[in-house]
Amino acid sequence: MENPAITRPPRHHAILFGCLLLAVLVIAAEALRWRAAHRATAAAGAVPSLTTSNPGRVTLTELSRAHIPAPLGMPSAHASTLAPLPGNRMLAFWWAGSRESGPDVKVFASTWANGAWSAPSMVVSRDTLGAELGFGVRRIGNPVAWTDRAGRIHLYVVATGLGGWAAARIAHLVSQDQGRHFHVRRILPTSPLFNTSALVRTAPLPLSDGGWWLPVYFEIGNKYPMLMAFDADGNPTMLTRIGNSTSSLQPALVAVSKHEVRAVMRDDSDQQLVQHAASRDGGATWQDLPALDLPNYSTSVAAIRLTSGQFLMLHNHVEGGASARSILRLSISDDMRTWRTIADIARGPAGDEFSYPSMAQVGNELHITYTWQRQAIAHHRYRIQPEGTS
Amino acid sequence: MILPDLASQIVYGRVGWAIVAATVACAVWRGAAPMRRATLAAILAGALALMALPGNLSPAWYLGLAFQYPSGLLVGCCVLRLTERWNGLPRSRAMPQALAGLLAGAGLLLYLDALGVLTSGYYYAGFGGVVAPLAAIVLAVTCVLAILLTHSRGHAAAVLGAVALFSVLRLPTGNLWDALLDPLLFGWALVALLAGARRRAARRTAGRVPAHDGEPVPGAALQPLAAEHFTSLKEQVGGQ
Repeated sequence: MENPAITRPPRHHAILFGCLLLAVLVIAAEALRWRAAHRATAAAGAVPSLTTSNPGRVTLTELSRAHIPAPLGMPSAHASTLAPLPGNRMLAFWWAGSRESGPDVKVFASTWANGAWSAPSMVVSRDTLGAELGFGVRRIGNPVAWTDRAGRIHLYVVATGLGGWAAARIAHLVSQDQGRHFHVRRILPTSPLFNTSALVRTAPLPLSDGGWWLPVYFEIGNKYPMLMAFDADGNPTMLTRIGNSTSSLQPALVAVSKHEVRAVMRDDSDQQLVQHAASRDGGATWQDLPALDLPNYSTSVAAIRLTSGQFLMLHNHVEGGASARSILRLSISDDMRTWRTIADIARGPAGDEFSYPSMAQVGNELHITYTWQRQAIAHHRYRIQPEGTS
Repeated sequence: MILPDLASQIVYGRVGWAIVAATVACAVWRGAAPMRRATLAAILAGALALMALPGNLSPAWYLGLAFQYPSGLLVGCCVLRLTERWNGLPRSRAMPQALAGLLAGAGLLLYLDALGVLTSGYYYAGFGGVVAPLAAIVLAVTCVLAILLTHSRGHAAAVLGAVALFSVLRLPTGNLWDALLDPLLFGWALVALLAGARRRAARRTAGRVPAHDGEPVPGAALQPLAAEHFTSLKEQVGGQ
C-alpha cells in the first residue's frame, strides 16, 4: 500500500522530466560543439601572416596628396580606415557629421580606382544600425575595415549605448559586394558591463589561416588594449587583453615573425611616450615592454610591416612649440625598437590637427589617410622602391 | 567562441525584457501584496505586446540601448518571482541570501576584472572552448540533482534554464558569464544582501537570537523530502 502523503502528482513528474531533458540537451549540445571545435582546431593553427618580397631597405617617393571628397553639409570628419580591393583599388571609410558625437554622424565610404576617389556614399547611420539591431544606438564613431580572403568587406563601427564613448559597443557589418551594401552581423560581445566601453580604431592583422586579429580597447576609467581574433569566415574565435597596462589604448598590431607580434599604442599616462607590448605565443599572452622613445600626447598611431620586412609607423611628433596633434610623422624601423624619421606628412602651427592616421600597402604603393583639421580626410600616396633604385 | 545569431538575440531580448519589465511593474505597483492571477497575466501579456512593437515604439529599443540583453538568470529569477505571485506566496524567495552572496562575490571579481583593476581575464574565459562548456555541464547536472533532492528547486530551475539557453542557443551573447550574471542582477543581489543584513541587525537590536539567516521558512511545496512524515506510517503498514 502506498502512502498518499508521498505520492507525487503527475505535474511534478513532468517538471522533473523536463529538467532532466534540459540537462541532457546541455550535455549533448556542448559535446557536439566540442567535437566540431576539436576538428577545426586540429585542422588550423593560425599564426600571423608574413608576406615578404624583395627583402631589404626601401625608399618612399611621394606620388600625390589630396582630400577625399567630403559629403555635402558635413563639416566634421574623422577616423579614416582603409580596405584594399582587387585590382589595386581601395575603399576608405570614415565618419562625418555636424560634429563629433552628433546625432547626424554617419560612416561614409569612397572608392579609390584609376587614381581618383569616388563621390562618398553613406554606409551606416545610427538609424540604419538601430533598425537592424532591434535596439537603439545613440551615436556612431570610429570605423575599422578589413577585406577577407573571399573578398568580403568587414566593417567594425563604434556604436554607443546610453552615455558617451564609455558606453561604446562594436557593431560588425559585412559586405558581400565590395562595399556597396552592408548588413549587420552582430554586436561583438566584449565586456560584462552591459557590453559597453569597447571601441576600435586601428587596423586588423592578417593570420595565416585567412583569419585576422581586430585590435580593440576599453576605456571606462582605466584604459587597456585587447584583441579579438576572427576565423576566415569572420566569426570571433578569441578575446584577450594585451598586457597589464591601464593607460594604453588603440593598439596597432604588427607581426615581427610568425610567432612574435608587437603592439604600439596611444599613451594616456603622464609618461607621454608611444607604449609597446609583445606576444611570443600567437597572441595568447602579452608582456608590456618599455615605451618607445617617441612622444605621444594621447594620440592614435598606425603601424604596418612592409612586404620588404621593414616597419612603418605614423605618429604625432611633438617638438618646439608644437601641440599634441600638429605634426604627423612617418618613421621607419628594422626592428620595431629604433625608429628614424622618413618625413613629416603634415605639419602646422600649434593647435592644428593632423591625426588618427591609417595606412595600407597596395602593390608597390603606400596609401596614407588621416584626419585633416577635423574637417576632411587627407590622402597621400607614395611609391615604395628598394633602396638604391630610381 | 561560438556566438548566437542576431535574429535569435532580438527575439530573446524582447521576451526577456518583457518578463523583467512585468516583474518590475508588479513590484512597483503592488510591492509584496498579493495579486489576482488575471491581473498578473494581463501585465505579462501587456509587457510582451509592448516589447513586440516595432522600432523605437518598443521599450526593448531603449532597454537594449542602455543594457543590451538581460542575463538568462535574471530572466529566470523574474520568472520565479512571477510564479510566486501566481501561487499567492506573500513574501519573495526569488533572491535568497546564499544566491545573492554568490552573485555579489562573482560579480565583484568579474567587474573589477572588466574595469581593468584585475588582469585575470575572467570574462574572456566565459567564451572558452573547454572551461565554459564544462562549467555549463557541471552547473546543469548540479541543478538537476538539486531539483531531484528538492533543494531550492525554483532557483535550480532558473540556473538550469539560463545554462540551457547558453548551451543550446548560446544566448544571450555567447559568453557563459552573460548567461548567469548582469549588472542588474548584481544590483538585485546587493540589495537583497543589504536587506538581509538590515533584518539581522534589527533582530539583534530587538534582543532576539536569530534562528537562521533571515530567510523565510519554506512553504509546503518546497519542503525537503526528509521533513515529510512518512516513515512511521510505512513501518505500521510493513508491520501488518
